[in-house]
Amino acid sequence: MAAVAVHQFAPCITCHAWSPDHSMIALCPNNNEVHIYRSSQDKWERVHVLQKHDQIVSGIDWSPRSNRIVTASHDRNSYVWNREGPEWVPTLVILRLNRAALCVQWSPRENKFAVGSGAKTVCICYYEQDNNWWVSKLIRKRHDSSVTSVAWHPNNILLATTSTDGKCRVFSTFIKGVDTRDSKAGSSSDSKFGEQIIQLDLSFSWAFGVKWSPSGNTLAYVGHNSMIYFVDDVGPSPLAQNVAFRDLPLRDVLFVSEKMVIGVGFDCNPMVFGADERGIWSFVRFLGERKSSFSGSKYGSQFSEAFGKFYGQSKTGVSNDGIDPSRSRGGIHENCINYSCIVSLGEEGSSRTLRFSTSGLDGRVVIWALENQEDLSEYL
Amino acid sequence: MASTLRLYLTCIRNTLEAALCLQNFPCQEVERHNKPEVELKTSPELLLNPILICRNESEKCLIETSINSLRISLKVKQADELENILTKKFLRFLSMRAEAFQVLRRKPIQGYDISFLITNYHCEEMQKQKLIDFIVQFMEDIDKEISELKMSVNTRGRLVATEFLKQFI
Repeated sequence: MAAVAVHQFAPCITCHAWSPDHSMIALCPNNNEVHIYRSSQDKWERVHVLQKHDQIVSGIDWSPRSNRIVTASHDRNSYVWNREGPEWVPTLVILRLNRAALCVQWSPRENKFAVGSGAKTVCICYYEQDNNWWVSKLIRKRHDSSVTSVAWHPNNILLATTSTDGKCRVFSTFIKGVDTRDSKAGSSSDSKFGEQIIQLDLSFSWAFGVKWSPSGNTLAYVGHNSMIYFVDDVGPSPLAQNVAFRDLPLRDVLFVSEKMVIGVGFDCNPMVFGADERGIWSFVRFLGERKSSFSGSKYGSQFSEAFGKFYGQSKTGVSNDGIDPSRSRGGIHENCINYSCIVSLGEEGSSRTLRFSTSGLDGRVVIWALENQEDLSEYL
Repeated sequence: MASTLRLYLTCIRNTLEAALCLQNFPCQEVERHNKPEVELKTSPELLLNPILICRNESEKCLIETSINSLRISLKVKQADELENILTKKFLRFLSMRAEAFQVLRRKPIQGYDISFLITNYHCEEMQKQKLIDFIVQFMEDIDKEISELKMSVNTRGRLVATEFLKQFI
């Protein structure tokens, strides 16, 4: 089975993040708080509640090396939480935003983080030692609508963003005094802060969920028109591929290896996309599908219900339609997998991910394993 | 159920299934606001193309979608004046009690008899499939309800007329 563990934490989860050793999980139960749970003997115990925001928390990221949590909220603020003894202590971030913050992510070196906002700007935040706060530099006047997702390139300089104007953009975020020149990739070494490297105009609808592949060679993002886009050679002459699928749109993606992407969204069931040896991407299968083929009883009842519908029982026919399509597909999630809710559980330093977790509006966190999926092993 | 009605309802069900992909989305124009975009229409890029599903001229359904909300407006069949009055009164009765239905809009949009407004908060609280079932069931029942009302009005009219005319015998 692909899903190895299902945990019900709250009626509804908007976002979650794991601690570096995966023993703790930080999640937002669809309100202004962040709850931190720790696992102790198969049980999850709530150890901390972070209260500082006064509107719904839209993004959480937990840095793997420095063990800091950054949260972003619709109240236009963001906080960096440091562990000091038993407590989590918030540090103020001067975002200078006048609209909601929508997403947040630490850079690979963890000296910066990016916040996408409803003010059509992206904030790149870095720590200022003298004042003990995080200050931000803004990328303004580049986006025509809200920034829905941000993703850092492994080189710590390039940042990809998606926006509800349907475009995906890549920016340079070089900040003097924070980044050093030699840490940059050769081709983009001359770019200043906020310079737009490329603008991808592939989607006709809103774009969400952008991610870089582990090596940084491929960029993937999704459109609300049930499409997923893969872009190779990000630079002056990019190579783009569009993959359309027949199911409901995706909301976020995750690269588990260079040749395999997991997409999650409104269909409640993770989708697997793979690249063949020529680099052509295609939809492989649903990840949760296999489970339904094991449970014979579920299928049986479904068949009888279908027969009932055939024999014109219009009254029961209506209630038959009431069965949740995700459940009838054997899905673990009962409501859509929401924004930024696919998180890799890969080992530090490894280029591939064998486990990842998803959370959804049904309040469940599901851990998925790819180890024993034989047909997918060629992509890993 | 007539086969054309079934097709009509199936079409609406499938459209709703695809359109009900809503998410929490704060307002881009007003600070610290979070309002259904389909009502405010502040940013055109956050709206999708509206879909009009017609069974015939007098029965149609308009589905308007935005990033965090969906509005579905129905026009109910009105064959004669009596049905017209009955529909108006009955749907007004329902609209006055809109809080009890949660997704019902207090006022239908122009040219339609009744409107529903579904936001991302409804999708968080309720299962999407049940919401769609409720709308389709409502559409199925409303025709039945109106024709039953019409029947009882006619029966009552006949009874009253008979009683009234008895005094002249």
